[in-house]
Amino acid sequence: MQWVPIGSEPLPPPLPPTRVDFTGNRSEFRKLVTKGAMLELITFGFYRFWLVTDIRRHLWSNTAIDGDAAEYTGRARELLFGFLVALAILVPIYVVYFLVGIEFERWKGFASTPLFVSFYAFGQFAIYRARRYRLTRTVWRGVRFWMDGSGWAYSSRAMAWGLLMFLTLGLALPWREASLERYKMQHTHFGDLQGDFDGDGWEFFKRGWWLWLLTPLALLFFPAAPFLYAEFKAREWRWWLNGIRIGDVGLSSDLPHHAFYGLYWKVIGWWLLLTIIYGAYLGAAIAITVKLDLAPSAQGAAPGVNIPMLVVTVIGYFALALGANIVMRVYLQRDLWAKVLETVEVHNIGAAADVRGSGQLASALGEGFADGLDVAGF
Amino acid sequence: MTDVFAEAPAQSRKPTIFFDGVSSRKRQVMLTLADGLEIVEEDGAHVRWAYANIRRADSPAGVLRLASTSAPPLARLEIRDAALAADVTARCMRLDEHQTSRRGIAKIVGWSVAAAVSIVCVVLFGVPLAADRLAPLVPKPVERRIGDAAEVQMKAIFGRGVCEDPAGKAAFTRLVNRLRDAAGLDDDSMTAGVLPTAVPNAFALPGGKVFVLKGLLDKAESPDELAGILAHELGHLKHHDNMRGLLYNGGTSFLIGLLFGDVTGSSAVIFASRSLVEASYSREAEAAADTFAIEIMHALGRSPKPAAELMFRITGKEGGSTLTTILASHPLTEDRLKRMSREDRPASGPPLLTDKEWRALKGICGSGKV
Repeated sequence: MQWVPIGSEPLPPPLPPTRVDFTGNRSEFRKLVTKGAMLELITFGFYRFWLVTDIRRHLWSNTAIDGDAAEYTGRARELLFGFLVALAILVPIYVVYFLVGIEFERWKGFASTPLFVSFYAFGQFAIYRARRYRLTRTVWRGVRFWMDGSGWAYSSRAMAWGLLMFLTLGLALPWREASLERYKMQHTHFGDLQGDFDGDGWEFFKRGWWLWLLTPLALLFFPAAPFLYAEFKAREWRWWLNGIRIGDVGLSSDLPHHAFYGLYWKVIGWWLLLTIIYGAYLGAAIAITVKLDLAPSAQGAAPGVNIPMLVVTVIGYFALALGANIVMRVYLQRDLWAKVLETVEVHNIGAAADVRGSGQLASALGEGFADGLDVAGF
Repeated sequence: MTDVFAEAPAQSRKPTIFFDGVSSRKRQVMLTLADGLEIVEEDGAHVRWAYANIRRADSPAGVLRLASTSAPPLARLEIRDAALAADVTARCMRLDEHQTSRRGIAKIVGWSVAAAVSIVCVVLFGVPLAADRLAPLVPKPVERRIGDAAEVQMKAIFGRGVCEDPAGKAAFTRLVNRLRDAAGLDDDSMTAGVLPTAVPNAFALPGGKVFVLKGLLDKAESPDELAGILAHELGHLKHHDNMRGLLYNGGTSFLIGLLFGDVTGSSAVIFASRSLVEASYSREAEAAADTFAIEIMHALGRSPKPAAELMFRITGKEGGSTLTTILASHPLTEDRLKRMSREDRPASGPPLLTDKEWRALKGICGSGKV
């Protein structure tokens, strides 16, 4: 027990940093996602809300900071509701998009392409809102995290930086991330502690500029790409973690730059294997169809769809998607999470010893784009 | 319950931690299992949770974490001693009432399957029916606007404008008008043109637009060959196939997207399942347009066979693989040739174009290469 009795007296400043422990059982997680993926398959994807919630509950409740595990209090019902509301809002937007697109096209070919940009903006808004939902469902020591700020303000920043990224061929990425992260973290709170982001773009740039130079090479020479991406992600994570502050509490990480090599290659290996199995399966199915002469007769002018073949193909495709999903979740969510956390140190945790809870739950519509698209105000 | 009280002093040594849900202060507490769960802090502060209100919260293995419906929502009691945890668990009858049970999962599965079945039924039966019924009802101006947009796009793809040689244009107009009259298309705003590109193809757009690409014109050896193809495209116009296709595509991708949670309908699954469903639909439309072309050519006293021969010259034999048979959007060319050959009749009407007009038409884009 590293529990320290905390009274109202001030703590001596040079407290050793505490670690973050991840105690999740890997095979338990694997069972969770396997079962979830199967249910997702037979429910045509509707189970995803429950699966995502279960994954988060597992990861959160097995992550202990200073000996106390976090908790995820979000529920799948909220996600389902958010999805339905988002549908209700998005459908009319798509109709308008379609009609405006036609008018633009009449004026000039492909003039409606920039309209895609509006979807990018919408996506950024959604990212911010989704983060807010997840954060307000994150509880540690009986106090929740929460967020203020505006999704649209965030979205417009993201758009402006996106344009700059485009103009500089990606070189502006570190400054973009620093700026957006600062916005997100400064609007993040744990009880009455306010968050901040201490990382700066220049530092990130110094750590990864040569990756930018090598990118064209990786595009030409495929096997280099996973290495490059793994390098980039590890550097990005480390830089990000080192910048995070909540009140006087700070994080640091010494994540090695080669930390993710193994993970990415395992995922690629599994995907290759799954694809080969799927290919063999399809080949066998076609061979059997041809042999049994189940193919549609070439006589009629409008031969019907070959139903057995269609069913076989679709089932195989779903099985492939299921396998790929399990692989992705085990390696890229659980293992990556564990790998990152074991390098994290928390400094001055005493500053969070007596925080008053505050902040409201982000509307129950949560990850959907409800509460009037921010128009209603908050 | 007296024996429980007797145990109470022993419990004080067991690590039990309480968060009151108001502040993040970690409080070491003693538990007393009486009529309710008594939570006593070191300084004597005292909270009582009724057993019926206690619910389990997520926790790592080895920790029993409890919440109470009558306490602040984030108040948590963490019991790390297994024996004490078992003791408390035994008293809380409604500990796991709020968790998703097996029955809950069965309900989710049941309802999603029901939703999926109804969506699939609508895709297979409802959408084609709605598209067939709605397409003729789309107001002409709307159809024309969509057509205009598509035309601008096509011209952007195939470059430059329409071929303008006056004699060639006159011949082309004459040919199109004869076909149009025979087809009974009353669309007076119908436009037709030749686009200067080497691709051998022809297409119809909403709002009465028919375009022949120069590549097809170059491969055509007689007016009848070209006329058959044009008649086929007029068939698409007559049947409102563009609008039907648009409504059908839009409806199908929207519904399938709904199923997989992607309203834009852009992901691979949607694309795959859609192309299978739609291929058969569009093959039906193509076959119907062929039927229409055969009727028109007969009405004009010409044979539909040359058009099929032209198609066959362009595509060659297509069949062979099962997969292409399933995925093809058009009926296979050899099947179409077979069908049109059956409808072959000796010419009973006058030629559609004179030799001179035909030569002019061939030169409609000028002699320059495209």
